[in-house]
Amino acid sequence: MTANTARERDAAGIAAGTGQAGPGRGTSVRLQDLTRSFGATRALDGLSIEMAPGELVALLGPSGCGKTTALRIVAGFEIADTGSVLVDGKDVSSVPAAKRDMGMVFQSYSLFPNMTALDNVAFGLRMRKIGASQRRQRAGDLLDMVGLAPQAGQYPHQLSGGQQQRVALARALAIEPRVLLLDEPLSALDAKVRLQLREQIRTLQQRLGTTTLFVTHDQEEALSMADRVGVMSHGRLEQIAAPDELYTNPATAFVAEFVGVMNRIPGELQPGGQVTALGSTVPIRGQRPDEAAVDVLVRPEGLTMEVVENGNGIVTTRTFLGSVTRVGVQLSGDVAVQVDRPSAESAALGPGASVSVSLTAGQPVHVAPRQVS
Amino acid sequence: MAAVTQTAPERIAPPPRPRIVFRGATAWRWTILIVAAVYFLLPLWAALRFAGISAFGSVISEPGFTSSLALSVRLAVITTLVTIALMLPTTVYVHLRLPRLRRLMEGITILPIVIPPVVLIVGVLAIAPGFLKGTSWLLALAYVVLAMPFTYRALDAGLRALDLKTIVEASNSLGAGWLSTLWRVLLPNLRTALLSATVLSVALVLGEFTMASLDLYQTFPVWIYVNSQTSGQVSVAASLLALFVTWIFLLGITVLGTRQSRKTGGGAVTLFTVARTETRGD
Repeated sequence: MTANTARERDAAGIAAGTGQAGPGRGTSVRLQDLTRSFGATRALDGLSIEMAPGELVALLGPSGCGKTTALRIVAGFEIADTGSVLVDGKDVSSVPAAKRDMGMVFQSYSLFPNMTALDNVAFGLRMRKIGASQRRQRAGDLLDMVGLAPQAGQYPHQLSGGQQQRVALARALAIEPRVLLLDEPLSALDAKVRLQLREQIRTLQQRLGTTTLFVTHDQEEALSMADRVGVMSHGRLEQIAAPDELYTNPATAFVAEFVGVMNRIPGELQPGGQVTALGSTVPIRGQRPDEAAVDVLVRPEGLTMEVVENGNGIVTTRTFLGSVTRVGVQLSGDVAVQVDRPSAESAALGPGASVSVSLTAGQPVHVAPRQVS
Repeated sequence: MAAVTQTAPERIAPPPRPRIVFRGATAWRWTILIVAAVYFLLPLWAALRFAGISAFGSVISEPGFTSSLALSVRLAVITTLVTIALMLPTTVYVHLRLPRLRRLMEGITILPIVIPPVVLIVGVLAIAPGFLKGTSWLLALAYVVLAMPFTYRALDAGLRALDLKTIVEASNSLGAGWLSTLWRVLLPNLRTALLSATVLSVALVLGEFTMASLDLYQTFPVWIYVNSQTSGQVSVAASLLALFVTWIFLLGITVLGTRQSRKTGGGAVTLFTVARTETRGD
């Protein structure tokens, strides 16, 4: 049944050519309560994610948080202890990887060394018993799409790392996969190439409308590419939300600290869901920790700063970031914070200047158990 | 990462290998080369003088020549094929699923080298089932044991040079089952290693004497020995001929393998290892 529809889709894809499919054509994917243990360590602890057709979801988290395990379970390379993966509503848990119809791009270079770029891209089509001329035509189209048509006849060892990953992407897309799986495909590349490829992947993914699961530990990558980002920690999903939502409205202290730059300032819990830090009292957002000693978590743009004599801090650094300038301030009590100010207003904030830093009144903040430094 | 200052083109050339050059190294090199050449070539030249050119013509018409050579070639083919058929899936499986057993495998495969052939063949004869006795299969199976260490080592080196897990998973995700993966992806990439294994197995079988003579097979080396009792010149001519034919054969395999692997960035066929040129950028 699955194989049948796949073949039909292949044929349709070839007839229509690539790039014709719009959004909405994609596949829905549902990860249902996945758990997986390796010995004593729990790699996944009840992970559930629902992906809409054509959506790009990034799984973001520190190494060992289970994001790669989740991806490998979807690909069929790992088996979940409990839980299931549903593709278009059908449980694929018992379908072997070779029959799942999922394109995958790996972290390490995975091209077959004995084949040219073109043959690599055509490999999946060959496995689907598509004729030689059609296969070459389609593989050529895909290489063209990733901008590597002139390299079609070259072997992997003649290509740079970035080119190899682009061929790998073309190869994964050639089979018109129901789901595209990206396992940190950019992490082996240098910064410039990474940025280009990031945009290329996103553009192609949107054009083809392929539902995509993307695993990364690079928050910038996740936030810039994904429709929604799932932040993982210890095998659990902390929060899954659109990038701006994740940044401005983090559900937990872990997310707040993991995504973007975050200041930690010692504070005191007050009755009635309030916390006091830097002389001001503001409401607490999210969960209240049990500990009495807490840190308040505030973004650089969430702090108010004025130049005053005998303030509570001394400016130590100043970094120009374009329209804003990030100012490093040493507060009394050995606390260092970063504060963003419009660049036009930060002329007086040179190192050594005395400033007064405070929380913005009325703005709720996250608190976390105090970190002893 | 110094990526900010990265202005180099995407293709990164491997750095040139550092060369250590001593003064007078050239003179030493030539001396060693000449000494080695004399050591190896002098006996050959002496043999050639002893046999005389005319002896080569009569070798072929000598009784037993054709049949013993045919037997040796047959044994070489059977041994090589059986060894590879046994060792290829085993080695791939160990690399992929049981990497911790690699050490144990190395230990096991060294055994045929350290156990003397005499001991091996006596053991084989003692336990061989009746229907195998007297057939060329019995000797071939004994040779498989002898060839196993070399084949394992060649395949092991070849597999180490590949990112096996990723390549197999990539192939799987593209819809290839196990057989297709082995046939279309792994075999072509292990070509160099397989050629190395073939070279070693063939050379081993064409030169083996102890087992064959103890088990009363008239393989080519045994025939040469037996013949040397009657006609010294002819047997020397035969062994020179055998040496030459083997040498051409091995050279052919090596050249063939190296040409292919140069195209795909693999290593040259060498007798004990498969060196692979690292070309991964970044």
